[in-house]
Amino acid sequence: MEQQAILAIVIFLIAYALIISEKIHRTIVAMIGAALMVIFGIVSQETAIHHIDFNTLGLLIGMMIIVNITAETGLFKFVAIWAAKKAKGRPLAILIALMLLTALGSAFLDNVTTVLLMVPVTFSITRQLRVNPLPFLITQIIASNVGGTATLIGDPPNIMIGSAVKELTFMAFIQNLMPIALIILVLLIPIFIFMFRKQIKTTPELMQSIMDLDEKELITDRKLMVKCLTVLGLTIVGFFIHQLVHIESATVALTGAFLLLLLTGEHMLEEAFAKVEWPTIFFFVGLFILVAGLIETGVISTLAEKAIGLTGGNVTSTSMLILWLSAIASAFVDNIPFVATMIPMIQDMGSMGISNLEPLWWSLALGACLGGNGTLIGASANLIVAGMAAKEGYPLKFTQFMKYGFPIMILSVILSSAYVYFRYLM
Amino acid sequence: MLIYHCNEDVAIITETVNEEDVEFRLHLLQTEPYLERLKKIRHDFEENDIYTDVLFYIYKNHEYGAIVRRAYYVDFVLALMKHGLLRSVEWKDD
Repeated sequence: MEQQAILAIVIFLIAYALIISEKIHRTIVAMIGAALMVIFGIVSQETAIHHIDFNTLGLLIGMMIIVNITAETGLFKFVAIWAAKKAKGRPLAILIALMLLTALGSAFLDNVTTVLLMVPVTFSITRQLRVNPLPFLITQIIASNVGGTATLIGDPPNIMIGSAVKELTFMAFIQNLMPIALIILVLLIPIFIFMFRKQIKTTPELMQSIMDLDEKELITDRKLMVKCLTVLGLTIVGFFIHQLVHIESATVALTGAFLLLLLTGEHMLEEAFAKVEWPTIFFFVGLFILVAGLIETGVISTLAEKAIGLTGGNVTSTSMLILWLSAIASAFVDNIPFVATMIPMIQDMGSMGISNLEPLWWSLALGACLGGNGTLIGASANLIVAGMAAKEGYPLKFTQFMKYGFPIMILSVILSSAYVYFRYLM
Repeated sequence: MLIYHCNEDVAIITETVNEEDVEFRLHLLQTEPYLERLKKIRHDFEENDIYTDVLFYIYKNHEYGAIVRRAYYVDFVLALMKHGLLRSVEWKDD
């Protein structure tokens, strides 16, 4: 192996280990690693920039702007309280309603933003009912990862896959991943009811206090809400038709974001930009360059060759290997760098004789998204909820979450394996 | 301990002490300009870094509920005072 390839592997592995250890912020690690790839001449600056997927970044930034402005209107709180009232204030019914709302939000916004919106309102409802918020938060974490699996914009791994493979459009994700996400979600309802039925009981008086709430008063700015809903609707329509009109999903999201800023006036510009999660954006930039180092030195191609050697180039075996490897890996390490590494590997498999790559892509998406439910560190949404809960005095322990999350992850990956096999491989 | 006196022309305020928090019920008698001020208090507590310091609940007829963590009791009472919903606030020996 060439010296540059060994150097690229060393930089990548050290960065990966530091990201997993969480001793240093992952964005700093990824960006330093990226800088080293350029400084050591593994990739030139021009090549590094060429490898940054601006479609992924644009899509994330655009959606963050739209959702953050919409959140200002109180719309998401309104919907959560409305759902709690529809559940007649019964804790178990509210748990399921909020879980389904989280799944829906995660599919059409993104799962990190959705949990950021759901957690405060969950604290509000559970405090009023005087029940433990943790069962609600655990179910929302799991639902956010399942819901995020269903669409191209739902979870960062899907955004990256959709951006890298032009044939996998927004509609393709819905047609291929939404059915299995829905099956898993429906199966989770009785499982959650059984798991938490004894933990969240309250009194009829406290249930009535939920029914007495006036959710309409939560809407703080009706005019802005109409503008946000119009733009959000147009943006989602844009995602559905982006391939027909030959524009990328990032163009759709950014057009929506700046159209909304045009409608709201420039006074919202600075606040909207301040709420974009820039550390996440730069984390992606760093990762794309780190992976570029491995691609340019031929490391990814070598790994792809070895994977094909392991499965004999058989699509079924390769799909199952990718699905389970992605799920187990995503449960214990950040799924974003894992997917960033797997994408070029699968692309290389295409040039090495595997003609039908579609089941491989869906296996990667399902494994990486659903694997996030395995442990508390499996996905960004999990860590964010755990951090928010701990700060409010409800620490969610690693083992406590794993007790629920890991069996559910295994169940969902078994179901996904059957789905991939019967739909694409039989 | 902190003692406060309501501004009876503006709002009726009652409180119930629970295990970990204090539950306030505020009924606004004058909506102008106090409804906006109450919304400002709510906004300030909702936008800070702690989600459960003061949780607001809105009922019909300008009635508000607030569940206040004990550690933030003083902050909440002072916010009510600052916005004119209380007539006076004073420290008294226990």
